[in-house]
Amino acid sequence: MKTMLLTVLSALFLCHGGTAQAQTVQDILQSQRALIEQSSRRTIGPAIDAIADSGLAQMQSVLEAWQAKDMWQRLEDGFFFAAHKTADGSYELTDFESGAVIGTYPKDALAQIKPNSGIRAMIATALVRFQLSDPDMARRGEALDSIARNPEAGLLGPLRAAIPSEKDPTLLARKLRLERLMTMSYDTDTAARVAAITAMAGDLGVDFRATLNPILTTRIVVADAGVTPEGNIAATLVPGEAALSRDAAYALLVEADKAQPVLTPDARDAGLEAHIESGRIAGTPIAKLDTETARDAAYGALAAKGLVPLLVHPPDIDASLANHQFFSIYHEPSQQVTEAAEAALAKSQSRVVASQAIDLGLDALSLASIYFLAAIGLAITFGVMGVINMAHGEFIMMGAYTGYVVQQFVPNHTASILVAVPLAFAVTFAAGVALERLVIRWLYHRPLETLLATFGVSIALQQLAKNIFGTQARPLTAPSWLDGAWVINDVVSISYIRIAIFVLALMFMGLFVFIMKRTRLGLETRAVTQNPRMAAGMGINPDRVNMLTFGLGSGIAGIAGVAIGLFAKVTSEMGGDYIVQSFMTVVVGGVGNIWGTLAGALMIGGFQKGVEWLNPSNTLAAQTYMIVFIIIFIQFRPRGIIALRGRAAGD
Amino acid sequence: MKTKTLALAAALSMGAALPAMAQDCTIKVGVLHSLSGTMAISETTLKDTMLMLVEQQNEKGGVIGCKLEAVVVDPASDWPLFAEKARELLTVHDVDVIFGNWTSVSRKSVLPVIEELNGLLFYPVQYEGEESSKNVFYTGAAPNQQAIPATDYFLEELGIEKFALLGTDYVYPRTTNNILESYLQSKGIAAEDIFVNYTPFGHADWSKIVADVVALGADGKRVGVISTINGDANIGFYKELAAAGVSADDIPVVAFSVGEEELSGLDTSNLVGHLAAWNYFQSADTPANAEWIAAWKARMGEERVTNDPMEAHYIGFNMWVNAVTAAKSADVDAVRAAMYGQEFPNLTGGTAVMLPNHHLSKPVLIGEITADGQFDIISQTTEVPGDAWTDYLPASAVLKSDWKDLGCGMYNTETASCVQLLSNY
Amino acid sequence: MNRSFIARNPSVLVFLALLALFTLVVSVLSEGFGIGLVSTSFVKTLGKTLCLCLIAVAMDLIWGYAGILSLGHFAFFGLGGYMIGMWLMYERTRQIVVSSLSEGVLPPTPEEIETGIAGQIFGVVGSADFPLIWAFADSLVIQLALVVLVPGILALVFGWLAFRSRVTGVYLSILTQAMTLGLSLYLFQNASGLRGNNGLSGLQNLPGVSAPQSVVSMWFFWASALALALGYLLVAWVVSGKFGSVIRGIRDNEARVRFLGYSVESYKLAVFTLTACLSGIAGALYYPQAGIINPAEVAPIASIYLAVWVAIGGRGRLYGAVIGAAFVSLVSSWFTGGQAPDINLGFYTIQWVDWWLILLGLSFVLVTLFAPSGMGGLVDLLMRGKKRGGNT
Repeated sequence: MKTMLLTVLSALFLCHGGTAQAQTVQDILQSQRALIEQSSRRTIGPAIDAIADSGLAQMQSVLEAWQAKDMWQRLEDGFFFAAHKTADGSYELTDFESGAVIGTYPKDALAQIKPNSGIRAMIATALVRFQLSDPDMARRGEALDSIARNPEAGLLGPLRAAIPSEKDPTLLARKLRLERLMTMSYDTDTAARVAAITAMAGDLGVDFRATLNPILTTRIVVADAGVTPEGNIAATLVPGEAALSRDAAYALLVEADKAQPVLTPDARDAGLEAHIESGRIAGTPIAKLDTETARDAAYGALAAKGLVPLLVHPPDIDASLANHQFFSIYHEPSQQVTEAAEAALAKSQSRVVASQAIDLGLDALSLASIYFLAAIGLAITFGVMGVINMAHGEFIMMGAYTGYVVQQFVPNHTASILVAVPLAFAVTFAAGVALERLVIRWLYHRPLETLLATFGVSIALQQLAKNIFGTQARPLTAPSWLDGAWVINDVVSISYIRIAIFVLALMFMGLFVFIMKRTRLGLETRAVTQNPRMAAGMGINPDRVNMLTFGLGSGIAGIAGVAIGLFAKVTSEMGGDYIVQSFMTVVVGGVGNIWGTLAGALMIGGFQKGVEWLNPSNTLAAQTYMIVFIIIFIQFRPRGIIALRGRAAGD
Repeated sequence: MKTKTLALAAALSMGAALPAMAQDCTIKVGVLHSLSGTMAISETTLKDTMLMLVEQQNEKGGVIGCKLEAVVVDPASDWPLFAEKARELLTVHDVDVIFGNWTSVSRKSVLPVIEELNGLLFYPVQYEGEESSKNVFYTGAAPNQQAIPATDYFLEELGIEKFALLGTDYVYPRTTNNILESYLQSKGIAAEDIFVNYTPFGHADWSKIVADVVALGADGKRVGVISTINGDANIGFYKELAAAGVSADDIPVVAFSVGEEELSGLDTSNLVGHLAAWNYFQSADTPANAEWIAAWKARMGEERVTNDPMEAHYIGFNMWVNAVTAAKSADVDAVRAAMYGQEFPNLTGGTAVMLPNHHLSKPVLIGEITADGQFDIISQTTEVPGDAWTDYLPASAVLKSDWKDLGCGMYNTETASCVQLLSNY
Repeated sequence: MNRSFIARNPSVLVFLALLALFTLVVSVLSEGFGIGLVSTSFVKTLGKTLCLCLIAVAMDLIWGYAGILSLGHFAFFGLGGYMIGMWLMYERTRQIVVSSLSEGVLPPTPEEIETGIAGQIFGVVGSADFPLIWAFADSLVIQLALVVLVPGILALVFGWLAFRSRVTGVYLSILTQAMTLGLSLYLFQNASGLRGNNGLSGLQNLPGVSAPQSVVSMWFFWASALALALGYLLVAWVVSGKFGSVIRGIRDNEARVRFLGYSVESYKLAVFTLTACLSGIAGALYYPQAGIINPAEVAPIASIYLAVWVAIGGRGRLYGAVIGAAFVSLVSSWFTGGQAPDINLGFYTIQWVDWWLILLGLSFVLVTLFAPSGMGGLVDLLMRGKKRGGNT
């Protein structure tokens, strides 16, 4: 501690005495050494300022190296250098002053300076001045990022100065927008602020709203009846209305010493306990004080004697509240600005609500496409063949693990997905055919027992996956072109991976419709579904058709597994997450009809998102209500949204 | 027909009863971690850790001249089964100590059994506190050793003004968020600036929630996320976060349940800079840690990682070994008495001390996620003593746990009386 | 009536005799009342197994006899457990709170006690108020009645809705599965007022009872044995009469029974509700032995396992259900307990903890494919010529 103090003192001394002479970079860094080593956002400010304000040309690279965690300290003398790792694991140090390499050092002779992200943000702010007109576009972009994150009044000038020289249209647009936003908050001219606000009214950007909302913050002020307080008044508040509860209003009065505090039960009991006289309180035996009314009465008796403060009764509260007024007052003094901001924000708000609805719709669509993708294989096996395959979820898992295994051998993510999709289909197709041949075909007339047998297969497969791949979740990484999101505006956006899943779902629907309506297999499947004996009589081999249909359904589950693994996770238990939902989708939609499955998925996805929107802090509730809804829905349409008619509808 | 069941029952009970009769100098160590079911993902690693520790100790010659024998059972992520297996370990296998449990609900399930039979449990996972059992040593972090310092870091180092507390819907996130809400309000954060959301286990559809969090920034305050999301739900959450382009510079996320193990399930290149708070990170640069990691990788494979609950078992097990040596007996009461004040070096440097409230004093580390799925330690405190009852909830602030001198885990300092001797479950 | 019923069903008598014998043997061997050869933890396992046998008997009635494959009966089982759990938890906490409050200067008021209990029970989930559904938690009698009433009413409402709209076959199975999933998701929420994921715990400690667990476990064991005996008797009586013939008729050909003028829906509803009540009772006895109940208990998987026990035991015979439930759950606990010896194949060691589920899964498949009458079928073979109806 003592040494630290000394260092700080000497640092101050150095700093003070040094400004007169020409300083080296290292001098300044050493003068701030203690603060840099301490590396805390609360204390680092002076150090960054000292470096940034030194006027030395190298300071930009110092700050950049520091920000990138590339600044290291040599333990022997505490000097700071830029360092980068060499091939053999040691570090090559570069002098900031001259840019010369001064040698390589092993890691244990050095200490890395690790600024946390709070400090990094402050460094970035300090760097803005250097970077705003930097020839490197990326640096200019970083500077703008930094301003957007931490706008400061002092940055408005440099930003305005950097606009005329900007050649890149994207960056220019960003600079102009930032300039407008900062004008709203920091310009000294009220008219300029109002103009900036009014010009952008209705904008959807989070940054716009984030600029206006702080302008509109208020505080609540208590005043005696009939007195109007000073300041830019936003509203008069009536206690008991939504903006100010009676309790909160009374608490404000107490805080302002305009009313007596309400006694808590604990305070009352403490008051009682303080006045025990030979086993009695205010004449009542202690043993009798076992109800709230008795205690209140005893306390009242004590208060009447003036031994304890009086109780506050509801009429007292009413009277106190009636004698005072409550106002909310803007922190912002200019009424013109707040009025413009209110109007602009209201305009934005209505557009935000509309955009949120669209965003929610996209989310619902995305969820529906995931459910659809998970359920489509089931719709084939359950819907068309009437076979309940509880191992369907495990086929999804198998597909996902296939994707994972492929990525172990094909490191390129795009190529690996291209290989994984057909391979997952092949693997699960084979598994499906095997399951159909070995188990299901013996049980076509006992549908409830297929359920049990396939459940057995399901738990066996799940455990098998656990034995092979372990219980940890495995990574299945999407190619980089699927990273990120399609951003329509600051409210409406959807990730590319979800769009890809949506497209995949559409493709499979198309494929399925094509197979069913346009191919021989589809014709035969429909024939077998409607009347197996008649179909057999027409020369169709029902065994083969069943086998292929089941394989097809399973194969699609495998591909769905790759897709789901890309956007969520790959574990041995992932199948279980989707199996019940898939069944619901198929049943709600109506068995034996792909359009029904689609409708079911849309309805379940939409309903779930709808409930989530109504109750945003509890996602579980959404799922619960969805199930209750499904149960009730089935009451009214026991055969689903799109019910088959005729023979095929029979059990 | 019933005879078969009977015969089976008899065979089972005989088989079960026989080992207990054998008299020899073996000290049995029960391992009560789920090897199947939803929690297997986390707990299997701890079972392997225990087996490795027991093996290492036996290579050193065991304890007080006796061999250690690990008895592994599988409570299968089934909470009632935890109680049943704990009883089995204590009465049928006669184990001297149990290392186990992960979730709080499984611990609450085991508590009555352990207390009834006077067993000894070492619980290695960060938890919500608000509990103190005479028979449990909590080697994971209490809220003041993880959640509170991490929140301080958010408030002071990152300047966060608005908080999204996202958690999986179970007791650890519920209680932790409760404590944090109260703590944040005491630090001047308004109640409307705290957004709380709970999701089910294994939740996969995060787009709406991530959008909600991004929308929090609309009032111009700096937003940070405190995540108590558990297990594999994290994978979907982080993937969605990355897809939405939420960078750690815009909205930092600090997680209390995401360690190296969880990160191994996803590509972290888009998550660089997000945070986690623990008492241990694999990247800690000490000789003891290097040795530990090497031993683990040699045993389990190069791609395996180490994490905080493993370190908790490492410290807990070694302290127990030292306490047995000091007590010259594996008897529960003797070992418990010898546990207080036990010291053992942390893998991250410094020394862990067992306190009379059955918690450790450990350093708090905050790490930033790096592209290779590890954490870059950017903040390390000195040892913080674990606190069984939080100071930030009014009902708990008056409570104190001291099994050594007061002999009470729920001591009311206001009334100077012991509220109850058994723990609350 | 009863006499002739027993006379017509000697297997019931045999079962009851064996159950009595089994109970006696366990009592003699127990730690609490006998020579201590059977550990308390095993007594608890056996007691719980008897409860599982009871719900399996109920499942056999609804599936094996009435042909309705319900994949949701564990919802009723869990509800029964929750109902008794509420009282156990409330009363235990009340005693702790009262004794701790009475150390203060002032005698505790009812409000203080109430707040204290709520704080203890709901403190862990961040609340301190009693939800409405705990209104009767202080009354053992009412909660005991609710053990039967809550599952019964849920079954009545759900069944009435489902059967009225003629939901049958696999649709009904999936709908019942949805019901139990919905219930478990609901209970998972903190807002359910039943402590969310934490559930109700410490149920093995009977309030006001200082007897050790070795004794308490035997009480519950006897109670479970008695419940199983009575439940078995009741179900056997139900299926032996005319009612039994009608529901078997519904199973085999629903349309024909309807044409004969029977109200198929009423029969189904009666069976569904009766089995739900039985399941509730089984659950109320099970969870005090398990010690904790939480929403994971009513997850869909549990009910599927129930169907599997009955299938392996052989449906359509009550003793089959009992054998299936007892055998599978005991063997399961043996394999996962780490007691089963590993098999070393030289190149690979089979650890049963890892491989048991695979074995179990494949055995379902094999039983379904090759032995639809299950293990009960073996019993039938042994007891030649005494076969009753109920084959599929």
